[in-house]
Amino acid sequence: MALLFRSTLIQSLAKTTRPMWMSMASTARRNMSSHNKETDAEFDQRWKAYFERPNIDGWDIRQGINHMNRLDLIPEPDIISACLKACRRVNDHSLAVRYLEAIRYKSNTVSNNVWPWILQEIRPTLNQLGLSTPEELGYDKPELALKSVDDM
Amino acid sequence: MSSLLLRHVKLTHPQVALMLQYQVRADASTASAAAVSNKSIVQTSPVVLDNRKPPPPLDAERMRMHPRIGNREIVGYGLKGKPEYFDLVMFPCPSIRWEADTPAIAALRNKEKGDWKQLSVEEKKQLYRASFRQTFAEFTAATGLWKWAVGWTLIVLAGLILGYDGWRRIVYNFDRPDSFSEEKLKKQMQYHIAARQGPMRTFSVKWDYETGKARGKNKYWITSYQTIDAIT
Repeated sequence: MALLFRSTLIQSLAKTTRPMWMSMASTARRNMSSHNKETDAEFDQRWKAYFERPNIDGWDIRQGINHMNRLDLIPEPDIISACLKACRRVNDHSLAVRYLEAIRYKSNTVSNNVWPWILQEIRPTLNQLGLSTPEELGYDKPELALKSVDDM
Repeated sequence: MSSLLLRHVKLTHPQVALMLQYQVRADASTASAAAVSNKSIVQTSPVVLDNRKPPPPLDAERMRMHPRIGNREIVGYGLKGKPEYFDLVMFPCPSIRWEADTPAIAALRNKEKGDWKQLSVEEKKQLYRASFRQTFAEFTAATGLWKWAVGWTLIVLAGLILGYDGWRRIVYNFDRPDSFSEEKLKKQMQYHIAARQGPMRTFSVKWDYETGKARGKNKYWITSYQTIDAIT
C-alpha cells in the first residue's frame, strides 16, 4: 500500500508532473479520455527512443524539443539525458544549453525544488559530456539588455 | 522511357520559378548532420542583409539562403516551417541561427566537434550568442511596463478631472448677485450688529455697543466699515 501512495512532495519531484490520480493507480488503468491510451512508461520509452536514434538530425532534435515543450509536463531526467546526448552527436552545445534553459524556466513555474533536483539527476550526463548548465554560463540572470521585439 | 509515358508540357516562367523554389529550398536546409560543415557559408561579417537592394534572381545557389534571412543557417522547423528567428518560451528552438557564420564562429564550431570540456566558458557563451539572440532569462525578464501603465492612467484621469472642472468653471461662470456689492454688504453688516449676531466669539464681540465703534484693532472692521450707522 505504501508503494502505491507516494507522498505529494516526492511525487512532484520524482515523476513527471502529472495529476495525482494518474500516478496512484496501477499501470493497467483506464484513462478518462479516449485520446491517449499509453502509460507513463510507454510515453517515456517512446521519447527516449526518439532521441536515442544514432543518426538523429539537428532538425529532428529541435522538432522533438519544441513538441515536448508544448506538452503539459516536464520530461523525465532520462529523456533529458537522451536529448543531451543527441545534441552531442550533432555537435551543438548551444542547443543543449537552450534546452536546459527551457526546462529550467518551465520547472520554476511549478516549484523552486524541481530544477535543482533535475540538475542533480542529470549531473552524470553533464559531467560526461562536458556540458555547462545555464547557471555556469551566467544565463540564469539576464546578461544583455536588448530591446524587446514588441517595442520595435 | 519516362518520356514516352509523360507528355512534354511547356511550363510558364512563374511555374518554373516555383518549382525551382521548392527544389532549392529542399536543398537549402543545412541541418543534416553529414553536410553541416561543408555547406555552411563563412563570411567576414555576420550582417549581410540589405533591404535596399533589389531581390536577387532565383537560382539554386542563391536560393540556398533565403534573401530575407541572409546567409544564416537553417537548422529546424521552427514555428510554421518558415525560416524566421524567434525567441519564445513555448518554442525554445527557432528555425534559423541568429548570426551567420564568421570565420571565428566557424573555428569554434570545429572545436565544438571535439570534446566539450576543452571549450571555455567564454567560447560556450560565444557559441550560444551566435545561435540565439536572447537567453531565456532575458526575454522573460520583467519589463516594468506596469509602472508606465499605472502612471499614464493616473495622469489621464487627473487630466480628465481637471478638464471637467475647468469646463464647469468657464461654462457656468455667472455674475455675482448684487447682494455682494459693497453697499449691500455694509447694510447687511449693520443688520448683523443690530441683531447681535455672534455675540460670544465671532461677530458682535468686535463691536462696542457703548461707543458705537469697532472694538480692537481688527482691520476689517476699522478700515472698511468705519462709518457704520449702528442700528441699535
